[in-house]
Amino acid sequence: MAREIENTAGIPVVQIATIVPIMLTVGANRIVPGVAIPHPVGDPSRDAEGDRAVRRELLERALRAIQTPVEEQTIFTS
Amino acid sequence: MRLELHKVSVRNVSWGDETKVEKGTLFVNREEMLSVAMKDNRFARAELEFARPGESVRIIPVKDVIEPRCKLSGPGEVFPGFVGGMQTVGEGATLVLDGAAVVTCGPIVAFQEGLIDMSGPAADYSPFSQTNNVVLVVEPVEGLDQHSYEAALREAGFRLGWYLADKGRGSKADEVKVYEMGGPVEESARYPHLPKIAYLCMSITQGLLHDTFLYGADMKHLVPTLIHPNEKMDGAMVSGNCVSACDKNTTWHHLNDPIVEELYSRHGKDLVFLGVIPTLEDTRLAGKERTSWFNANLARMLGADGVVVSEEGYGNPDTDLCMNAAKCEKLGIRTVVISDEAAGTDGKSQGLADAAPEITAFVSAGNVNEMIELPAMDRILGYDSSISNLSGGAGESLRKDGSMFVELQAIIGSTNELGFSRIGARWI
Repeated sequence: MAREIENTAGIPVVQIATIVPIMLTVGANRIVPGVAIPHPVGDPSRDAEGDRAVRRELLERALRAIQTPVEEQTIFTS
Repeated sequence: MRLELHKVSVRNVSWGDETKVEKGTLFVNREEMLSVAMKDNRFARAELEFARPGESVRIIPVKDVIEPRCKLSGPGEVFPGFVGGMQTVGEGATLVLDGAAVVTCGPIVAFQEGLIDMSGPAADYSPFSQTNNVVLVVEPVEGLDQHSYEAALREAGFRLGWYLADKGRGSKADEVKVYEMGGPVEESARYPHLPKIAYLCMSITQGLLHDTFLYGADMKHLVPTLIHPNEKMDGAMVSGNCVSACDKNTTWHHLNDPIVEELYSRHGKDLVFLGVIPTLEDTRLAGKERTSWFNANLARMLGADGVVVSEEGYGNPDTDLCMNAAKCEKLGIRTVVISDEAAGTDGKSQGLADAAPEITAFVSAGNVNEMIELPAMDRILGYDSSISNLSGGAGESLRKDGSMFVELQAIIGSTNELGFSRIGARWI
């Protein structure tokens, strides 16, 4: 879906997902590693504040990624 | 380590005043067995039913299948950590009610449970259409949370499996099979010129009702370890999971692991069987990396020349499969992997979610998305409406006349990745 949105609509996509090797295999271009499969965009093992901090950091990183020009598949680890 | 499996052949199942096996028939005292099932205050009600090979019966939704086994001699008891105390198993003698099974069933726990048909086209896809099944259908007490319900049903299955075998102690075995093998150091010294092979048994260990237990320990909290193949036959590894029915390793599969069987039969002939590495499928990328490094390192420390890797489930575990193969191959250890494929209803999609060029030997256990037409059955044990919430089913799967149109993945064991199925493939 990420590739199709980019190819067809020309809208850049960032994919947040836990298992980065699968994202690389399926051809996602901007990849933000998520936390865990059952909760990619948060960490319920932390308290509410910690979980919120994780969410915000991931979202902000994803927004930075989407504005970053890329020439090849890129993993945004920070 | 020497283990004798005393196999008492069961060809029929019937109600009786006393639970016992006589002339190939398993007689069951319904009240007594029910009281064993109800030794858990998390059940409001329980019922026992039979499902025999060839009958027009559908069991749905099935959680687990357990082969009745108990220890005749030797340390420990089968299903250690659940039924017996806490000792390692795999030695002495174990009684097996060969041809019988306990099937656990109840209102749906989670969306990944499945069905068994005792006749018709689905029967060809599940080994449990060929067993004489004592089916436990429970109702949990009101308000019981899913995890407690899963645990209660899982434990009831082991309890009943042990109970049936325990009552069969007086029966003479129709066959005694001996499994005898030392540890990896000893066996490697005995056959220095044969290739040394380890078996990586990947298991779903992902929480949220997707767990496997080793000696009662929830494997998601462990790092990979090594067990003797005999330990598997005594129930050291058991299922506690609601992963897709087609490729979940039920407890019955672990007890009758065909990879263990095959490697054992060739041990000392054309290979050395080093042992079984029960291993994880983590939910975090770092966990998958850690696990696969541990697996490859364990194999290397054992002196393995080759590793057989079996998967459980599909999707993200495909990444574990790739990592395990890739890391072993990089260390010079040859690998063969066994997995099923989610290739779409037309079979044209990529079979695995991930890929690794190091995988050069792949055994496919079938396409989970293949559609199959299932005729109505005369008798339903459980709840056939649950098909609308099961993987492989949909809201429109169940028709008014009781027939169904589903994916293979709704059938328990249909694409089992230990290879315990009738599906085969050949090059054309």
